[in-house]
Amino acid sequence: MTTNPLTVGLVGCGAVTKLYHTPALQELERLGRLKVVALFDANLANISPIQQAFPKAVIVREFDELTRLAPDLAIVASPPRYHASQTIRLLEAGMTILCEKPMALSIAEGEAMVTAASDAQRLLAVGLIRRFFPTTQVVHYLLSRNIFGNVSSFTFTEGRVFKWPIQSASYFQDNGVLRDIGVHILDLLIWWWGEPEEIVYEDDAIGGVDLNCRIRLKFPQGFRGEVQLSREFHLPNTCVIRCDDANIHLDVDEPNQFQIEFHDSRYYMAGQLHTTSNLNKSLIIPGPIAADFHQCFVNQIKNVLSAIRGTESLMVPGEAGLASLRAIESCYSQRAMLDMPWFSKLEILRSQQIKDRQPR
Amino acid sequence: MTKFAVLGANGFIGTRITEMFALSEGIELRPIVRDYVSLVRASRFDLDSRVANAFDQQALQIAFQGCDVVVHAVAGDIKTILGTLSPVYQAAQEAGVKRLIYLSSGSVHGQTPQPGTDERSDLSDQQVLPYNNAKVRAERTLSKLRDRGGVELVILRPGIVFGPRSSWIINFADALLAGHASLLNRGEGICNSLYVDNLVHAIYLAAAQPAIDREAFLLGDQECVTWADIYRPIAKALEYELADVPEGVVAEQDTKQASSWFGRLEPVRVSKPIQSILSIVPHRFRVAARRAYETIFEPSGDSGPILPEHAQPVISREMAMLYSCRYKLPHSKASRLLGYQPPVSFPEAVRRTVAWLAFAGYPVKAGLRR
Repeated sequence: MTTNPLTVGLVGCGAVTKLYHTPALQELERLGRLKVVALFDANLANISPIQQAFPKAVIVREFDELTRLAPDLAIVASPPRYHASQTIRLLEAGMTILCEKPMALSIAEGEAMVTAASDAQRLLAVGLIRRFFPTTQVVHYLLSRNIFGNVSSFTFTEGRVFKWPIQSASYFQDNGVLRDIGVHILDLLIWWWGEPEEIVYEDDAIGGVDLNCRIRLKFPQGFRGEVQLSREFHLPNTCVIRCDDANIHLDVDEPNQFQIEFHDSRYYMAGQLHTTSNLNKSLIIPGPIAADFHQCFVNQIKNVLSAIRGTESLMVPGEAGLASLRAIESCYSQRAMLDMPWFSKLEILRSQQIKDRQPR
Repeated sequence: MTKFAVLGANGFIGTRITEMFALSEGIELRPIVRDYVSLVRASRFDLDSRVANAFDQQALQIAFQGCDVVVHAVAGDIKTILGTLSPVYQAAQEAGVKRLIYLSSGSVHGQTPQPGTDERSDLSDQQVLPYNNAKVRAERTLSKLRDRGGVELVILRPGIVFGPRSSWIINFADALLAGHASLLNRGEGICNSLYVDNLVHAIYLAAAQPAIDREAFLLGDQECVTWADIYRPIAKALEYELADVPEGVVAEQDTKQASSWFGRLEPVRVSKPIQSILSIVPHRFRVAARRAYETIFEPSGDSGPILPEHAQPVISREMAMLYSCRYKLPHSKASRLLGYQPPVSFPEAVRRTVAWLAFAGYPVKAGLRR
């Protein structure tokens, strides 16, 4: 059975659109799954490289023109401070939305988005791409079935020298490392274990946004863990989950590889994930290597397209996005100063004074 | 209130200037960086940060508007060292800046200065290292610009500036963890150290003192220290003994290691996955792993043409000269005319630097992390 391709509008043509959404959309266009019909960005200069990829798409100069064109799906990849207002407007116009992370800057904004989707009876998906990593899905499988026993602790560290090709100083407005990278990690942790019952948060923002932060969390199952994030340094970009019988190691840059360190065993397993289509048979024939980072973006859009057609549920609906927003808000509401041991006593005092005046 | 523009605010020195000045009373600060990405470190603060390329006079002029002092802390290659001088000076002039503080380098006197060297010593732009010659030419170019212009010029010649985020520290720590750290003469050569906070203090003084136009100042820490004095605590913090660090061999050409088989394997050995594993592996296992690595990859005599020529780590010519230094450059002129007295002692500077390594995710031994 053939179906007409669904129409897609791109809202925001910055770096994430250029680097990730565009190649994914091109691939799905080639497969006849969708057609990109509209491009919008407040900065027209951003649109031209995207238009080269989708020459038949209409360049929309005023945001409200999009509501007139009304594509089936709008991908909202504008700066986070516009996510809520743009998403709500487009939902009201009858579109399904895939909104980039963070879905909003506050719970209130996020809840308004979810309500707008419900009122309009339209789908709202959140671009928390890491849920589409084969590794995180396998971890979800292993943890939900207690394959390696109970979890005793975890450590998640992620840090890189910031090189994202931003085009404006406003990128940093209300967008520290916690909202930028932390939202992915908090989302994964909540997906695996539910919402944390305790959060202790420290960062190094001194009147601006967080460059480095540390989060200590306790989950309802009783175990604790720590997340360390940096936009300044390279850190081991790994997640280690310690269970009764084994430790699971993930490298966040390798969506289809992971390692298992078995306790009381001389063996350590480093695995490459493959897809398989014959799960119910005793003979498993490995299929192709599981999705890489680019393919995860393809799969994310495929999931939304299938949800529009009613053949799949959304992998990350708006309600799921709210949970990580709640965790972020909990972090910022109690932010303490990260220990910066190279500061003089006077600098520590002054930075604390500035931090105390910072909005929470 | 003095208003500073700090050019190169995302660099190692520029970042610390930003931190210290942003947290000081009586200073207004405008960090300036070359592109939006480079605003990242300054974004921790609520500051009037600007983007302007140091080669772009027009952009600089806009960025300097309203500032009293410009600090030129741009690091880079020779093209950057020499190509940014005129745009910066002319932009400062057009913007009505009163004083330009230029961060030159103690290496204008060479890496192994003769005893008795001070600011009065002749400078040569025919030294072995192109960097030294570029810094000498930069000082001369700025002096000529000052002859024709109205912006006062103060030149600072810091020694080996170290501290949080310093490449001297990071490179040595990384080399230790990767198993290819080396020394020359057991690190007994004099290191003309300058803790970064002491440099920032000197910059503040250089902006405030009258009647120092066209002067150049050598800057250093109070103490006379060796390379081993700096490296030993770093090694100890990472659970190594400096005595175990091998002597290196001096490169005939600085590119030699990179072209060897050993050099080409380095990206693998120092890669993130390997290092992330190394960082959680106890010291004794790291030593064993290193020995195994060396057994596999280091030369065993007649193993064929693909093996490296040197079993010992290779030291660049610049480092070899620095490790051979036998003279501490004086900062008596800075003391006399600027009132410079290094506020942070060397032991405290090292303590803070080691604590920063822990902050930056290095596997620093418990008890030394603060």
